Amino acid sequence: MITGERPVAVEPGAEQAVPGLRPAAIRRPRGSPLRAPYWLMTPSLALLAVVVFLPMAIAFYISFTGLNEYTIGDWLHAPFVGLKHYVDSLAPSGAFSSSLFTSVRASVAFSLLTTVAITPIGVGAALLLNGPVRGRGVFRGLMLLPYVIPTFVNAILWRLVFMNGTGLADQLMAALHLGSRETFWLIGPRSLWALVIADVWAAWPFIYIMTLAGLQTIPAELYDAASMDGARGLRTFWHVTLPLIRGTLGLAVVLSTINHFNNFTLPFVMFGSSPPDQVNVLPLNIYVNSFITFNFGLGAAMSVVALFIMLTPAVIYLRAARVGESD
Amino acid sequence: MGVAAPARPVRAVRRSPNGAGRFLLALGYAAFVLLPVVYMVLVSLQDAVTAGDVVVPRQVHWQTFAEMWQTVDLGTYLRNSLLIAALTGVVASVLALGAGYVVARFRFRFRNAFRVSLLATHTVPGVLLLLPLFVIYVIIQHALSVRIVGTYFGVVLTYMTFALPFSIWLLSVYIASLPGEIEEQALVDGATRFDVLRHVTFPLAVPGMVVTFVFSFLLAWNDVLFASVLTSPATRTIGVGLQYYLAENQLPLWNQLMAASIVSAVPAVVLFMVVQRWIVAGLASGSLKG
Repeated sequence: MITGERPVAVEPGAEQAVPGLRPAAIRRPRGSPLRAPYWLMTPSLALLAVVVFLPMAIAFYISFTGLNEYTIGDWLHAPFVGLKHYVDSLAPSGAFSSSLFTSVRASVAFSLLTTVAITPIGVGAALLLNGPVRGRGVFRGLMLLPYVIPTFVNAILWRLVFMNGTGLADQLMAALHLGSRETFWLIGPRSLWALVIADVWAAWPFIYIMTLAGLQTIPAELYDAASMDGARGLRTFWHVTLPLIRGTLGLAVVLSTINHFNNFTLPFVMFGSSPPDQVNVLPLNIYVNSFITFNFGLGAAMSVVALFIMLTPAVIYLRAARVGESD
Repeated sequence: MGVAAPARPVRAVRRSPNGAGRFLLALGYAAFVLLPVVYMVLVSLQDAVTAGDVVVPRQVHWQTFAEMWQTVDLGTYLRNSLLIAALTGVVASVLALGAGYVVARFRFRFRNAFRVSLLATHTVPGVLLLLPLFVIYVIIQHALSVRIVGTYFGVVLTYMTFALPFSIWLLSVYIASLPGEIEEQALVDGATRFDVLRHVTFPLAVPGMVVTFVFSFLLAWNDVLFASVLTSPATRTIGVGLQYYLAENQLPLWNQLMAASIVSAVPAVVLFMVVQRWIVAGLASGSLKG
């Protein structure tokens, strides 16, 4: 099917090909069909340069300039302001923008609270549905539903749930005598909880999927052995299950922390472009500074700060994914 | 267990302890998942006056699903989203096949740095790249007198930022797991590298490409951030367009918004369910195996 379609003169280097040896193990002369076809990477590399690497470099540059709606037409000549934005962003809340500090606090609180809440929920579901349960197949599929519903739909749904007085949250609380029907969720201090609850509902299946994938790699013999040694329930979990899924679970937790931290859609659709301080997370604040008040330099400076905050979880993530260790 | 342990017969079939308890717990999870979804469906079946004020509709108002198409240009938004998401999926998967193949089969300088950077892009906040991308597009527009901002091309190009690194990573892992002997035999028989890629590697890599297609499709379908800045009214996507049910009307049409939300979630849910097994395997292997 391949041969003969386009016969090529076999070059001297090709004849020495050792069967079973990977082509890359041998240095190939230029032009040999066994040489690495780097041109196959060129389109991807060129594209990545334009849409990833170049924008990152430009973001750093913009963060040191006074780029705004008036200077955007000639952005290369925007006044250089040095670290001004980094200092400005630490200033107390103004009328239009929360300070960087408020946003960092909101972002960290949001991503940590959510991750802490979803981990036991996700692991619990995975343990439950890894074992025998009637109707397991149906349950396994159903659990994924919140995860596959688009984030913007999720955000709209929870915005309605948390509507003051009429939303499901207030109606349920009133019916169960847990609180007033006039509880405000979308403004004021409760907004953080509204955001966390919405994201917990949407994100826990990620921990569940990853844990379930990890659990399915554990051979049943290990459980039989543990069972014969008299281990039961929690002890089996702590001493057999957890050590074996630690890698997968750790990766899932780090990844989900990163995802919550970078989540723009959920807070934006739930709270709009003038959110309460408690949910004015970094991505939202950066967006407002860049595209609502057109203070591009400040927005870029804040996103550089966001990138540096992400550095620690990112390094943990890359180590957990064990990239570069093998081959 | 002491002395009693050896006397216990070894169970051939694992008995399910607390079968009823486990089932109840699973039902609890199901209720947790379904409660908001059922609420969404119930509100979508209410009439405009009571929508959002009550939980259970007094009278089922099916008309919502017909009315919603007139309030905002829902059809156009859905079509734009389908087109953009499908294009993103195809372009990312095809480009990533070439790059993933090279990464899987060859050792070259900076190979590991490249692989690390593929995963690292996952941690970059999208909002960091949005403004510079906008600036780059404006510069290219001025230099070449073409339109990028507001076109399908511009949006698809932008989604490569996150779709392409993941796709290259996943396909490189996938191709590395395929045997290389057939490729080598074909090369020795005189096929070119492109022939091999097209006729040997590609057919074998299709399952991996299905996963990268779906992942990229969902990434594009779910985006609001880039689409809110880089689309024009003619290319507006569903994620941005849905919000007009609240913005363009004085009275918020919650029933229509919920109905339109359900409709816009369907392609994502269906697509995911179809390839669920592959995605789950891909998630686990793509991020775990080097």
